[in-house]
Amino acid sequence: MTLEGKTAFITGTNRGLGRAFVEVFAANRANVIAHARKETPEFREFLNDIAQKNSVTITPVFFDMTDSAAMRSVVRSIVMAKTPVNILINSAGVAHGGLFQMTSMEKIHEVFVVNLFAHMELTQQLLRYMMRFPHGSIVNIASISGLDLKKGNCAYGVSKAALIAFTKTLAAEVAQSGLRVNAVCPGLADTDMANLMEAKAGAEMIARSAMNRLGQPREIAEVVAFLASDAASFVNGQIISVDGGRA
Amino acid sequence: MTNIEKYTQAFVNAFGVDAESAKALKYQDIPAWDSVGHMGLIAQLEEQFGIMMEPDDIVDLSSFEKGKDILATKYGVEF
Repeated sequence: MTLEGKTAFITGTNRGLGRAFVEVFAANRANVIAHARKETPEFREFLNDIAQKNSVTITPVFFDMTDSAAMRSVVRSIVMAKTPVNILINSAGVAHGGLFQMTSMEKIHEVFVVNLFAHMELTQQLLRYMMRFPHGSIVNIASISGLDLKKGNCAYGVSKAALIAFTKTLAAEVAQSGLRVNAVCPGLADTDMANLMEAKAGAEMIARSAMNRLGQPREIAEVVAFLASDAASFVNGQIISVDGGRA
Repeated sequence: MTNIEKYTQAFVNAFGVDAESAKALKYQDIPAWDSVGHMGLIAQLEEQFGIMMEPDDIVDLSSFEKGKDILATKYGVEF
């Protein structure tokens, strides 16, 4: 599998899964537009190291996913510069767990804005531009929590379920324009997000995995890279669980 | 190529009609100008004129003439 000659726009790359996506896409020879909310010296250094190691171009872009104007400004600059975008990985996300009656509507709205509406907005802004380039692919990073809805998932899990529904709908709409749209549902992975979970909830998620362990970010990233590549040229509208199987 | 020629060519490319027929077209007049064809037309116009159209304008672009009006008033395209 190679991504040579392609450029991938990846959101939420300063940590967790997004960071692994940058590493794996660059290792597969893709140029990357790496989004983060804020610029830090450590992030710059990380991107420079990966770019040099793999002889690819990595262009950082910075905006808050909830800031429509800033997002639009970045997309416009990419379009005006005629920087090709073949791949979009909607990866930025925010975690939340809690019973519905203990979760404010403000919090639910916040989670939906980042986990769903911001992805929809960025996709809408980039979609027609991506159609100018051949073999386009969008991969939405959902979650096993969006498939296996349990108590305490009224915000995060439901937002991911909606992202899965969006994936299927969009895949049907744009297939004839040469774009494929798929989603990956990671199980609990070894990231900061997992560390923020209550220990009991994390242990329950691991116990529900047949492989009975956390996933490594790279194991998720390899599947995402496959879906983004031409090796998956007839895979469209699919929701792929990468969770070690269900126990 | 003038702007009106580029604009007309977008319709020709999107719908496979000749330039004369394009000028009288309205949304859903022909099978090719359905919702999917409409997005193809918008992609052509955005590429031809280097613009990013707003969703409301995409919905409002319901005829050849209306599109000219939108591009002129909202996106500074001179015909």
